[in-house]
Amino acid sequence: MSTSHNMENDSLLYRIKQGINDTCYIWAKELRSTVTDEGVLIFCILVPLLYPLLYSWAYNNEVVREVPVAIVDKSHSTASREFIRNVDASPDTRVAYYCNSLEEAQGLTAKQQVNGTIYFPADFNKLLNRGEQATVNVYTDMSLMLTYKAIYQTTQAVSAGMNSKIQITLGGGMTNREDEVVTQPLAFEEIPIFNTTGGYGNAILPGVLMLILQQTLLLGIGLAAGTARENNRYQDLVPISKHYNGIFRIVLGKSLSYFMLYAIMGAYLALVVPHMFNYISLVSAETILGLLLPYILSCIFFGMTLSCLVRYRENVMLLVVFTSVPFLFLTGISWPQSNIPGFWQGIASLIPSTFGIRGFLRISSMGASLSDIRVEYQALWIQVFVYFITACLVYRYQINTTRKRAFNQMQMVKEKAIAAKAKKLQEYEAKSVSQSNTENATN
Amino acid sequence: MTEIIRRIYHISLRELRIMRQNPIYGFCTVIFPIVIILFFTSLMNSGQPIEMPVGVVDQDQTQTSRAMIRRLDAFQTSHVVGHYANMNEARKAIQRNEIYAFLLIPKGTTSGLMTDTQPRISFYYSNVTLVAGNLLNRDLKTVAALGSAAVGATKLSAIGKTGQEVSTFLQPIVVNLHMINNPWANYNVYLSTAMVPGVLMIFIFLLTPYTIGTEIKFHRSRQWIKMAGGNVYVALTGKLLPQTVLFLSMMFGFSYYIFYVLGFPHPGGIVPIILLNILSVLACQGFGIFAFGLMPSLRMSISVCSLWSVLSFTLSGATYPLFSMDSFIQSVAQLFPLRHFYMIYQMCIFNGFPLTNAWFNFMALALFIILPFFTIPNIRKAMLVYVYIP
Repeated sequence: MSTSHNMENDSLLYRIKQGINDTCYIWAKELRSTVTDEGVLIFCILVPLLYPLLYSWAYNNEVVREVPVAIVDKSHSTASREFIRNVDASPDTRVAYYCNSLEEAQGLTAKQQVNGTIYFPADFNKLLNRGEQATVNVYTDMSLMLTYKAIYQTTQAVSAGMNSKIQITLGGGMTNREDEVVTQPLAFEEIPIFNTTGGYGNAILPGVLMLILQQTLLLGIGLAAGTARENNRYQDLVPISKHYNGIFRIVLGKSLSYFMLYAIMGAYLALVVPHMFNYISLVSAETILGLLLPYILSCIFFGMTLSCLVRYRENVMLLVVFTSVPFLFLTGISWPQSNIPGFWQGIASLIPSTFGIRGFLRISSMGASLSDIRVEYQALWIQVFVYFITACLVYRYQINTTRKRAFNQMQMVKEKAIAAKAKKLQEYEAKSVSQSNTENATN
Repeated sequence: MTEIIRRIYHISLRELRIMRQNPIYGFCTVIFPIVIILFFTSLMNSGQPIEMPVGVVDQDQTQTSRAMIRRLDAFQTSHVVGHYANMNEARKAIQRNEIYAFLLIPKGTTSGLMTDTQPRISFYYSNVTLVAGNLLNRDLKTVAALGSAAVGATKLSAIGKTGQEVSTFLQPIVVNLHMINNPWANYNVYLSTAMVPGVLMIFIFLLTPYTIGTEIKFHRSRQWIKMAGGNVYVALTGKLLPQTVLFLSMMFGFSYYIFYVLGFPHPGGIVPIILLNILSVLACQGFGIFAFGLMPSLRMSISVCSLWSVLSFTLSGATYPLFSMDSFIQSVAQLFPLRHFYMIYQMCIFNGFPLTNAWFNFMALALFIILPFFTIPNIRKAMLVYVYIP
């Protein structure tokens, strides 16, 4: 009877069934903790839902328009006034002040009233009419690259327009077409092929969205692990329970619950938010599934691996929050990837967001296919694999220490019990001896 | 008075002991800040991105077109890495992340130049990485303009114009650009000066509520208040003093490194640098104390502080200007110390304007420093009554 029972216990089918049972138990428990644990609730549900909206709102105007400039016109001529009118009419700049001297304009820059100054020397018109080169001086405040770019590009465009007009009058061609050819023998056009508006939000936001996915997962997993440790009597990550009896059950059960939650969050961040704020989104079902699946999984296993380092739950925030900015820079979203030094490239390749963001930018903003992002996609699967193994290893270590401690604890209790028993026995014996002694004495 | 100083001294010693026992303090006050400083300054060490990969689609295959490609390659910013047969292949190369832009020279460009039929070359660039797109756009435009000018110049000198006449004809109005204080458009100067202090501020933001909150968590709060003789101001001063000193030395170390070792422009001189560093460290600590006093739970206050500190990168307006955001966001941004740090930095240090121009931002930072006074009584209560619930 008992042998058959044992056989049933050891059969593979039974163990698999038990394993699935335990996995589901851990999965449900972990999922419940995302709602009951205040910190996890904030970072895994509220932040991914609300933070992207804030960012989208901030960047929603996309491009910098109507940058204020000051004019110092010493020339007071038709030519200078034409230049000024054109600058004012350009979409990116507006003429905010007319000043009598550069010092006055500088004062306005100091008060943040203007971001640049255009200065026409007194001989501006005279030189032009004399057939010599005339100069316009443009002074730009370099504390903001986007305003510098707006002023610089506008003045370039305005001067180019006026130049070709002057050339036409000087050229003296027979036909209009001849004039055109003389002023510009070689025509050229510049075509922004992706992110055609040059929008700041379109360039930065996809990266921010993907980064939010990773950082909130790291925080959430870390916080949950911290709480589990603090609720545990021996500060262990893994509780002593018949369900927590196997590495795969724990790792799979926990990751399943996060994956479930983040499948929804991922879809929200990658599809709903760009749609709501009209950001470029050229993804297809195939590319988004192909990228997000390994990305979320690698973030989860990466988070689980790191979560073992956490002693107190609040330390997670100290360790994770500040990394957001360097992680974003490591992807090459701001400073181009081709110019990141090799050492930092190496560090970058350890982090899921590096490949997640690079891949997402290309499928979302450039309409790349899965084969176009093969490097990123393969790197993410490698990370999934590696971090899965490291997560299993650290949990194995945790389980072993838990077991050892539990065993020691039990041993200690046993020893104590034995000692107590022995003591009692001794006392009893001593008592009986003394009793018999007294009995003997009385006898 | 000496009694108070003595108490502060002892609490500071106690804090130093705590900091030695918990390694997270060492990481957040010294190791991570140094890593961050080195990270940003080494990442953008070249100032401007150089040798960015670009491609060419040369369907003309003549000496003229090859000269154009060589000229493009010679630019510091661009490096020709690929030749593609047609536009579609080049586009795919952008999607594969091999190049950022490409120049398309169609068949018949040279013969068109010879026969005066105004041939057309085009360049395609990706704005998905904005910096790369902008810089390459500028280079490719110059290549095209030079190509155009070369033809014009040859023609004009052939009919006997002098060099001066040629250049006057080609460019009657010259724009003379003065990029004040950063004539190299150095991105290290532009970005590191705002990003690094921003990250250092994250540490101050988080560590302040952490250090106060862990007193409750580890059941030391009553002992701590007792050491201060029941005076919560003394208690907080003693407790935060070691961190203030550490963070200040990090900020000053960073300033010294960028302004005096790397030679970033700072026409404002040393006075605003010192003032700004002191004010911003104190303002962030003030905000941290205030947040903890408002929500005397370690978890909540540190969560709020972390969300606040990460948002401040966007709302500081150092990358995307604040005046281009919605007006509501413009006012909300004033609640972030990093915004005021950036304004004072760019007005008084980077541009060297008098301090009075930034009076509003100085006042704002001062306000952050006095914020804790509104919630300090709450902290006292929390320390004596509350119990940490994990």
